[in-house]
Amino acid sequence: MSKIREQFQAGEGELASSPEADPKAYEVFIQLTRGQPHVHTGTVDAVDDKMALEYARKHYGRDQACVHMWVVAREAMISAGYGDDIIWPLTDQDYRLARGYAADVRRKWEQFRSKEDVDRYQKEDIKDAF
Amino acid sequence: MSAGVTSSEELRIDWKIQEDPDRMAAFQAHIDAKGLVEADDWMPHNYRVGMLRMAEHHANSEIVGALPEGEWITRAPSLRRKLALVAKVQDEVGHGQMLYRTSQDLGKSRDQMLRDLVTGKTRYHNVFNYPAPTWADVAMIQWLVDGAAILNQKSLAEGSYGPYVRTMKRINMEEAFHFKSGEDMVLTLMSGTKRQRQMAQEAFDRWWGPCLMFFGPPDRESTKTGPFMTWRIKTATNDTLREAYVDRFAPAARALGLNIHLARKNPDGLIAVKADGTPDKIEDPLIRLDESTGHWGFTQPDWDEFYRVIGGDGPCNKQRVALRRFSYEQGRWVRQAVMGCAGLPPSRN
Repeated sequence: MSKIREQFQAGEGELASSPEADPKAYEVFIQLTRGQPHVHTGTVDAVDDKMALEYARKHYGRDQACVHMWVVAREAMISAGYGDDIIWPLTDQDYRLARGYAADVRRKWEQFRSKEDVDRYQKEDIKDAF
Repeated sequence: MSAGVTSSEELRIDWKIQEDPDRMAAFQAHIDAKGLVEADDWMPHNYRVGMLRMAEHHANSEIVGALPEGEWITRAPSLRRKLALVAKVQDEVGHGQMLYRTSQDLGKSRDQMLRDLVTGKTRYHNVFNYPAPTWADVAMIQWLVDGAAILNQKSLAEGSYGPYVRTMKRINMEEAFHFKSGEDMVLTLMSGTKRQRQMAQEAFDRWWGPCLMFFGPPDRESTKTGPFMTWRIKTATNDTLREAYVDRFAPAARALGLNIHLARKNPDGLIAVKADGTPDKIEDPLIRLDESTGHWGFTQPDWDEFYRVIGGDGPCNKQRVALRRFSYEQGRWVRQAVMGCAGLPPSRN
């Protein structure tokens, strides 16, 4: 075992020093592979931007393979949403979504073409949008 | 959103507090619908304090937990093992950082948490109050203790506080490496010489009891379980997790040729020796699969020992806290320099 672990003087009772302020919070967003979106992965405490970037690299860059990161001071971020602050209106918005048309369009197509022809034709649809 | 330093008076659980009934009902409905609570959301006082206490205790455990294994870095038996152990210890300290960060957003400063830890006002996980006298202890910690931690943290990842849940998921990815590397070390020892196998058995004897205690006191004695389960701060009871642990590890240990013993400990946390010079241990007579329930039987650990060690009278309590305190006190000039308060030029920003 290292000598320091056996030979240090252990203090007792209350600490002699006064409480210290915490550094600033920075939010960290990582990109796992080039071309993918950046995703929030955690927070670091740092006194300035340079230190924040260094901590974020060492902390979040090392424990998960990633190619890029954004680090931003929390105080510089603005946000919206939750509670009474509704971002996505709760009214029926079928008209602006592909799935709002899917059943109608299908039924209407089948008045003109066979099921098989419609199936073949619809293979090219972007299914993720439904 | 910076919560700043909150007095510890404000950070006590208080069941007499009357919360707004409408908000409480909406909060409970959100939780019941498997919703996650975010740092900026309204939450009942006792939820905030309960969550903070748990995350802070967890953070403390991560950084104290690095100590028994850290002792072994200089003595690792090969370069690969040394690299893995350095990475593992670094991971634990990183987990501490993430969990302190999560706790800060619940209303307590990191500095206050570190001060409370080193002056004995808050605790860390009981399992780290035991010694790691041999390399086989390092192996057993990574297999048995990290195995217990994964089981516990998988259940905590089902919890209701979003920032903590996401932290748990990150942590579990790294725990998976710790666990696999622990398995590798235990398998190596158990495939080795008679002396290696004996060393592994002795380390197993030291860790089995503390690992059963890992999940906390029996449900009938656990006061926090009820309300905390309702809010999904906890998602599984102590006894449920303990049973799942034994079901996984008892048959695995036996398959490796390890015997599960009831062992009496001396004050140093080592297995006591009888007058005839042999270790004071017997095989646990209850260890067997109960075909009717599908669960493995086991003898409950020594709960008196558990409460004694939690109360501060364990083999390594003083040593662990003293080393953290030493590090906090000696590190002050570094923190001051970093914060630009030591007569050095202030930081760039």
